Amino acid sequence: MASVPAQPFDNTGEDPTARSPLILNHTDFGSVTNDILKGNESAKPPKSWYFALAVSFTMMSMLGAMIGYLIFTGVGVWGNNNPVAWGYPIVNFVFWVGIGHAGTLISAILFLFRQKWRTAINRFAEAMTIFAVICAGTFPGIHIGRVWLAYWLFPIPNQMDMWPQFRSPLLWDVFAVGTYFTVSLLFWYLGMVPDLATMRDRSTTKVKQLAYGIASLGWRGSMRHWHRYERAYLLLAALATPLVLSVHSVVSFDFAVSQLPGWHTTIFPPYFVAGAIFSGFAMVMTLAIPARQLWGLKDFITMRHLDNMCKIVLFTGSIVGYAYSMEFFIAWYSGEIYESFAFINRAFGPYGWAYWIMVSCNVITPQIFWFKKARTNIAIIFTASLLVNVGMWFERFVIVVTSLANDFLPSSWGMYEPTWVDVMTFLGSFGLFMTFFLLFIRFLPVLAIAELKAIMPIADPHGQGHSYEEMSMETDEQAKIAEEDE
Amino acid sequence: MSSLNESNENGQTWWRSLDEVVAGDAFQAQLQDEFPEGSGELLATGDDRRHFLKIMGASMALAGLGVAGCRRWPKENIVPYATRPENTMPGIPEQYASCFDFGGISQGVLVTSNDGRPTKIEGNPEHPDSKGKTDAFTQAAILDLYDPDRSRQVTYDGEKSSLAAFREWVNTYLPKAGKGIAIISEPSSSPTFERLRRAFMKKNPQAMWVEYSPLANTNEQIGLNNAFGGQWIPVYNIAKATSIVSLDADFLGAGPMQVPNTRGWADSRNLDHGNISRVWIAEPGLSVTGAKADERRSMNPAVVAAVANYVAKQIAHTDVAIEGTVALTAEQQAWADKMVADLQHAGKHGLVLAGAGQPASVHYLVARMNEALGVVGTTVAYRSAGSGSSATIEELAAAIQNGSTQGVIIIGGNPAYDAPANLKMLEAIKALPFSMHLSMYEDETSSVCKWHLNAAHWLESWGDGLAADGTVCVGQPLIEPLFGGISSLELLAILAGNPETNGEVLVRATLLGKSADNWNPKWRTAVHDGVVADSAILENPPVNRRVPEGGTVVSGEKFTACFVPSSAVWDGRHANNGWLQELPDTITKLTWDNAALVSPQTAKTLGVKQGDMLAISVGSQSISIAALPVPGTADDVIMLPLGYGRTNAGRVSEGAGTDIYPLRTTATMWSAPATVSVTGDSYPLATTQTHFAVNSTPGKGTQERLPLLFREGTIDQYNADPAFAKHVGHSSHSLSIFEEQQFVGAKYKWGMTIDLSTCTGCNACVAACHAENNIPIVGKDQVLMGREMHWIRIDRYFAFGSDGHGGYDNNDLTAVAIQPMTCQHCENAPCEEVCPVAATVHDSDGLNTMIYNRCVGTRYCSNNCPFKVRRFNYFDYFRRDPLRSTGMLQVQPDYYIKAQSGGKTLRAMQFNPDVTVRMRGVMEKCTYCTQRIQRVKIATKNAWVKKTEAQKQADPRVAIADGAIVTACQQACPADAIVFGDLMDTKSRVTKLHEEKRSYQMLEELNLKSRTKYLARVTNPVDGAAATEGGHH
Repeated sequence: MASVPAQPFDNTGEDPTARSPLILNHTDFGSVTNDILKGNESAKPPKSWYFALAVSFTMMSMLGAMIGYLIFTGVGVWGNNNPVAWGYPIVNFVFWVGIGHAGTLISAILFLFRQKWRTAINRFAEAMTIFAVICAGTFPGIHIGRVWLAYWLFPIPNQMDMWPQFRSPLLWDVFAVGTYFTVSLLFWYLGMVPDLATMRDRSTTKVKQLAYGIASLGWRGSMRHWHRYERAYLLLAALATPLVLSVHSVVSFDFAVSQLPGWHTTIFPPYFVAGAIFSGFAMVMTLAIPARQLWGLKDFITMRHLDNMCKIVLFTGSIVGYAYSMEFFIAWYSGEIYESFAFINRAFGPYGWAYWIMVSCNVITPQIFWFKKARTNIAIIFTASLLVNVGMWFERFVIVVTSLANDFLPSSWGMYEPTWVDVMTFLGSFGLFMTFFLLFIRFLPVLAIAELKAIMPIADPHGQGHSYEEMSMETDEQAKIAEEDE
Repeated sequence: MSSLNESNENGQTWWRSLDEVVAGDAFQAQLQDEFPEGSGELLATGDDRRHFLKIMGASMALAGLGVAGCRRWPKENIVPYATRPENTMPGIPEQYASCFDFGGISQGVLVTSNDGRPTKIEGNPEHPDSKGKTDAFTQAAILDLYDPDRSRQVTYDGEKSSLAAFREWVNTYLPKAGKGIAIISEPSSSPTFERLRRAFMKKNPQAMWVEYSPLANTNEQIGLNNAFGGQWIPVYNIAKATSIVSLDADFLGAGPMQVPNTRGWADSRNLDHGNISRVWIAEPGLSVTGAKADERRSMNPAVVAAVANYVAKQIAHTDVAIEGTVALTAEQQAWADKMVADLQHAGKHGLVLAGAGQPASVHYLVARMNEALGVVGTTVAYRSAGSGSSATIEELAAAIQNGSTQGVIIIGGNPAYDAPANLKMLEAIKALPFSMHLSMYEDETSSVCKWHLNAAHWLESWGDGLAADGTVCVGQPLIEPLFGGISSLELLAILAGNPETNGEVLVRATLLGKSADNWNPKWRTAVHDGVVADSAILENPPVNRRVPEGGTVVSGEKFTACFVPSSAVWDGRHANNGWLQELPDTITKLTWDNAALVSPQTAKTLGVKQGDMLAISVGSQSISIAALPVPGTADDVIMLPLGYGRTNAGRVSEGAGTDIYPLRTTATMWSAPATVSVTGDSYPLATTQTHFAVNSTPGKGTQERLPLLFREGTIDQYNADPAFAKHVGHSSHSLSIFEEQQFVGAKYKWGMTIDLSTCTGCNACVAACHAENNIPIVGKDQVLMGREMHWIRIDRYFAFGSDGHGGYDNNDLTAVAIQPMTCQHCENAPCEEVCPVAATVHDSDGLNTMIYNRCVGTRYCSNNCPFKVRRFNYFDYFRRDPLRSTGMLQVQPDYYIKAQSGGKTLRAMQFNPDVTVRMRGVMEKCTYCTQRIQRVKIATKNAWVKKTEAQKQADPRVAIADGAIVTACQQACPADAIVFGDLMDTKSRVTKLHEEKRSYQMLEELNLKSRTKYLARVTNPVDGAAATEGGHH
């Protein structure tokens, strides 16, 4: 086991003659497995894990209590009112769906584009997706007035002989989010099967053996297994790819298909998709930075990974910025007074503060990633990713609330204020998310072990890809230097 | 015959055998309340069974006449009638005529009764003032009937007592103490009341009779007495007026004459007549009349009096030295000159009115002007009205002070709360050895009186009265008193020692003499119609002039406080009515509170914004009240609506508003010099329209889109281009993304028009909709959150002039837009397209229907509704205490329906059984009163089926006669601004109005194809050009 101390090694450079290594300080497969599963296999996780779980679980319980209170009392416990019939719940829904976007993008699209660096982050990005979609799915479920009839939104044959109303974007939402969740879950699980088998094989207790044994579906690592697995994985990737684009496009239809000024815009589908990738990557970074620190994964999630993600954040953030300005341009260009008012009011009306938080977090903050120094500075990356998360939440707040608060007839204009129940429910959804995530990193393989091994130089005897010779030379050199230092 | 205050599980209903009933303990116990005229004693003696049967016979006869003989608590047993009462079909509502007194004018109504429960009040078409229309107060009166806070018993010194005990007490007390007795009554037009008053006074000639109502127009009475001699009530026929000058008279605003005045005014604005009237108004605050006036100036009441003098001098060549008036500015004078010219041009079609706040001398001048213009007989007529007062309330207070009055009998009213503050009536009454109050509530006055008698609601008792023109009205009860209780007539009969104290007999005897019985055809016709035909007594008064020596108009050096009635609670009497408390004021859109209304300029000078507390002092008295800037208010004037801050009115009124009466003294009844300071506190005011600063982004946005939403033009613009409204904005041919509704095979096409020219925003439609459609009140905290449930609302916008820097000046009010807004029933309804469960869909007649059972409450429809007329049940509002902000537990099971009513489903008795009571989590909205449409459709279809084949072929559509279906809002609207009908019927009124040139659709560019169209407002400013109403100088 190569217990080489992690040390700063710059793999972010672009050398045209050689590919940068994506896994540092590891030359053999065994050490990779050992290091990745260290957190899972240690008898006791670090205290910070317990602490984080306690906090998250408390928050999750609070969410449960809030939902119970809501269902027993009525939607009126929230701040929603007559012009602003959708408030925090829908803001939170779109926010979480957006977060849930990056996982499948990383695992499917980057897979098809053969972006090998994705292997280090795809597993927990997918996990993040699943958990975020669970959080997202909670909100439309509980935000309706009669929760106990939520199943009417599904096309279930029934004695009333009633189908849902297929022209409603909310119904499309049900399908889009449902499909996305199903495919993401399958994709995540399928990708995890070889690693679960690894964990099964390394398990020391009966319970673990049994649990991982069942979960790994009898995986034995035969050539045939691998063949089927890779076919299926590729197929699922191909299936998931359109979903990456469809889910947030459909979510954007909730707004774009209505005829409310500020919602009724054709730019919404691409703008929402870009925004979702933007927020998804920001969330991946927000999770990856502490996780690689605490779980000792710095060799796998390297600076190069973060650097790449920063570039994507910069790119998608700029698309979002472009969309913001284009909305304004079109509003002005249309010459439509309701439309132009909606946007002027967004920026300079009573909710102007929310708009400017959004712009500074989403458009201005990512611009710092033009600079490599910023892209390689953990503190800056972490702060920026948090700010982007805040900004993207405010983007949804701005879209949902300001458009509704001031629409056509000034007589019905009204301000929206969340109640304490709104705020606690939102915070509680983070508890739900984090509880799942903390359980995930403790009990499931947090990185795609099998896939990671495939991008190691020793996995590629033909010297293609991330070159064996160069890398081994480099690592050998490093080892020497390290020895000398000692 | 159970009543709410005892637990008789046998409940009410029909007596199967008299013995069974007579033997019951419960029956014995409540006999005292049931038959106050003495049958209790009869039964107690137990032997005169024959007499008892006679009384019962009379009761049964009443039932036959159409009076529901019993209180009908909704019960869960389903038992068929053994013998069905005549003309009664279970489930089929019936209507009965009745009447009640408001401000000394009898209001004629038709009351709908559902299986014995009165549920809805409409105007009586036979009644000369109502002509089938009502105001908001009348619409809301049905809720008072079922108010669980009503007093349920007779009390003496706070202890439960009985009516029999009171009678005994009176019989022993009155004969020896009649001298020192004073009676305070409210102005009443009832001939029976007058008859019994005389009888009482004959027996107790030394007694002092005081008629008091805080909002009685005493200045007008004095002014007309000066002008003509005697007591006169002016009755206006505004329909005939072409030029109307109002000197601070809010004749279109709330009040006993609102309905006839509004109808007359609307008629004078009818564009079919070729010309429309012009309304001039000079007033301190912005009233409903001011909002609809063509020429408006806001000014201090002292300046209004000066205008009166200036105009009177030119028209009637007379003036009166009124102390306190100020000289007019040149601008005001020029304006008044135009007014004079206009009046003179109108001649006998002119009309001058003055408000209650103007001094008697101004009323005298007004009478002189009307006389000089020759309008008496055309636009104004007078009715002689003898006042019952033998003394004023000041004299009474003095008499109590000097000990000559030892006891007061207070019949209705609430003088302890609303008498002038300097008289200290509350303390005075409390100190008296004998005091008695007849009231529906144990209110402020009851709390200081020895005796409290629970009054019957007018829907529970017989009554009569005179319409404005003197037409005799008869009012019958619709239900037995829910909590026992007697009417003022019955009480007066007791006091007068009248052997007969049955309300019906008393009223009949007044009308037809004592010999007339229940079968008298005249009586039956009068009860059936609610009015006695051709009994009007209008006349031209003889001139017996006493020129007043002068007068005083009160105004302050800096600030003037003006006291005005509240459009919701009037003088405070409706404080416990939730519908009225939640009814947004037409101008301020304020609910659940009153506020100090100031001009934006004054607010700026004081440095206050909406909700900041002001300390307002008049003399030594001071109150704290939240400020509310209202454009169009005269600078330095503080308008203070009365009637709030009640302490003993019931649970609904708790914490609602500030009591203004402490500032009101005998010398300052209508206006007072005030000092104002800012306390620094603030108070949440629940307005249904959010206030945005005039030059903020939303403020400017409002001004920019106003011409598109609310289209108006002057009469000259209209004459030049009747379709002017269609040329505002532009709409192209739009295509729908989905296949549009085709309405193939539709038999009807329902549609509506709302005339913005004649709608005054009086709120009658809003209250009517409340009553018809089982709409809950939500309470102040929910209104603050923007969750009010009104299906129809009155949108109010202020149009401002430019401030010269690209913005708007909110001191320059150029127009007030008043626009009723309700579901437009769009054919391409945006709400339908987005509902995921198809809970809102179109029916073949074109109604945008809402299926409550199907609704899961995503609220997407509300988001996509461009008019935001959809209302969401955020809570089970009928199971929640709507009256106070609640903490964690927002819903108590059955709070409003049962818990609050002491276990009975009292509130539920008002519900319209044809309309679902919605639960929480569902959306609701205007249905065009689909239940009324269905009722007529079914009846028409049933009639059609019986026709011959030939007749059927001639009418394949099963056409419904135009006007057969009337929506609740349309039915109430005194201006007739709302018209509903079948657009497939080419001859229907609504079709004609839809095709009218000034009709337009709201937000037409959205391709909504709404079924409701608006008729653009046409104004008649004196210069003909753009409206020149300016509030500020």
